[in-house]
Amino acid sequence: MNWLISRIKAFTYRNYIFAIRNFFAMTEIFFWPVIGIISIGLMSGFLNLSGHYINFLLAGAIISGVLQVAQLDVAYGFLYDVWSKSLKQTYIAPVKNYDFIIGSWIVGVARGIIAFIILVFIAGWIFKFKLPGAVYMLPAMAGIYLSAMIIGMIVILSILLFGQRIDIIAWMISVLMMLVCGIYYPVTYLPGSIVAVAKMLPLTYFLEYFRLGYGFELSFSNPLLKGFILSFIYIILLYFGIEIAYDRARRTGMIVKLSE
Amino acid sequence: MVIIETKNVYKTYTRGFLKKHRVNALKDVSLSINRGELFGILGPNGAGKTTFMNILIGLIIPDSGEIIIDGNKIENKYNIELKRKMNMCSGNPNLPWSLSVIEILRFYSMLYNINKKQIENKIEKIMNELELEKYAYTRFDELSTGNKQKLSLAKSLINDPEILLLDEPTLGLDPHIAAKTREFIKKIQKENGITVLLTTHYMQEAEELCDRLAFIKDGRIIGSGTKKEMKKKTKTKNMEEMFIELANQQN
Repeated sequence: MNWLISRIKAFTYRNYIFAIRNFFAMTEIFFWPVIGIISIGLMSGFLNLSGHYINFLLAGAIISGVLQVAQLDVAYGFLYDVWSKSLKQTYIAPVKNYDFIIGSWIVGVARGIIAFIILVFIAGWIFKFKLPGAVYMLPAMAGIYLSAMIIGMIVILSILLFGQRIDIIAWMISVLMMLVCGIYYPVTYLPGSIVAVAKMLPLTYFLEYFRLGYGFELSFSNPLLKGFILSFIYIILLYFGIEIAYDRARRTGMIVKLSE
Repeated sequence: MVIIETKNVYKTYTRGFLKKHRVNALKDVSLSINRGELFGILGPNGAGKTTFMNILIGLIIPDSGEIIIDGNKIENKYNIELKRKMNMCSGNPNLPWSLSVIEILRFYSMLYNINKKQIENKIEKIMNELELEKYAYTRFDELSTGNKQKLSLAKSLINDPEILLLDEPTLGLDPHIAAKTREFIKKIQKENGITVLLTTHYMQEAEELCDRLAFIKDGRIIGSGTKKEMKKKTKTKNMEEMFIELANQQN
């Protein structure tokens, strides 16, 4: 147990250093999400939207910023090694794949919380944004951090399968997922086939539950339960996928190739 | 007592996207390495030395063959308890580029679960031995090639490995630093009684350092034994002649 904690702490330590030293990582917390909040807030004002609708849109922009920051950290846990060509060195050490997923996710959650506080403060100060009650906000945010882990794991799986050329998906998947899960609109507004996809994604349910706090009607029953069950299923499936892809990468020489 | 044993190890890579072709990296590699010895694998570039090392440390899965390390048969799922007793240093090393020397050593120490109290002492001692103290806060990407190599060696010693794999440890180093690195390898091997498996394509390096040797060419072991045995067998005087003679015999 001590050893497991030490390994997880090692990746948390490394991601933390990357995060504080990398200017680009800092802009992920401050620059892009704040630009998003201000743009959405101004647009809401221009369209003369009432209080609840402004909250609806700003909540979407805040969650979008938090999700992006948190998921990138999980992906970075792996991508930093790929970019530094040090993946081989990490796997020489006695590590398990869950060590760096959990270790980097912890930093992702911490950075996500910082981004959340900043964004809520700015949105409240400039656009009178109000958070829903803690009973809605806390479980929904916990679910959103799980969604961040899922997206990060998809990135890791893809890189192990297809190599470094696929690293661009680290930025694409979360945006696509938010589009399908109804980040700025109820999913029922989407075409039927997309709704069917949205129903399979836990983020849909966490967004719904967050907005329930503003009095919007639910499109699905039991969103929290469905969201958490789906999240755990995806995390387990993706973990097995990563293990299989890792063995395949060892067979094809991909791990070594990613380090050259 | 044998600590590493490989029997009939084969490895083939498939390269190319549309037009696939196969590269035989290792063919029927069987070797036994004794506990506490400094064993050298000597061969030209592309002979299969690094592939062999990567297989031993679990980065590559062979197509077939048997590998036993310290009594553990290596399966697809590598035993992480065994990895804890091993480490590897590669030539032209790459380590996390934005971390400083001390941060890199701290990170890897934590992966091996080195006691928190011991970590700083250990790092200080290793940096001292390898003359890295004044670069403690220098980022990896700002280090010279020689210092990167030293750091890679320091990283490979952080867990006091019982089995140390050194893959071309002096590659690209200037002669002065290469000589110092060789001295250091000899010293730690002698002092700690660890098993060292070293690959090199420098004949002189192998002659200077290794107790026993194996020559590898085109993925196949073409000869192995002590220097004395090999010289006697091939009726040659030095490593270079020995390699040429063995290659000719194989042809």
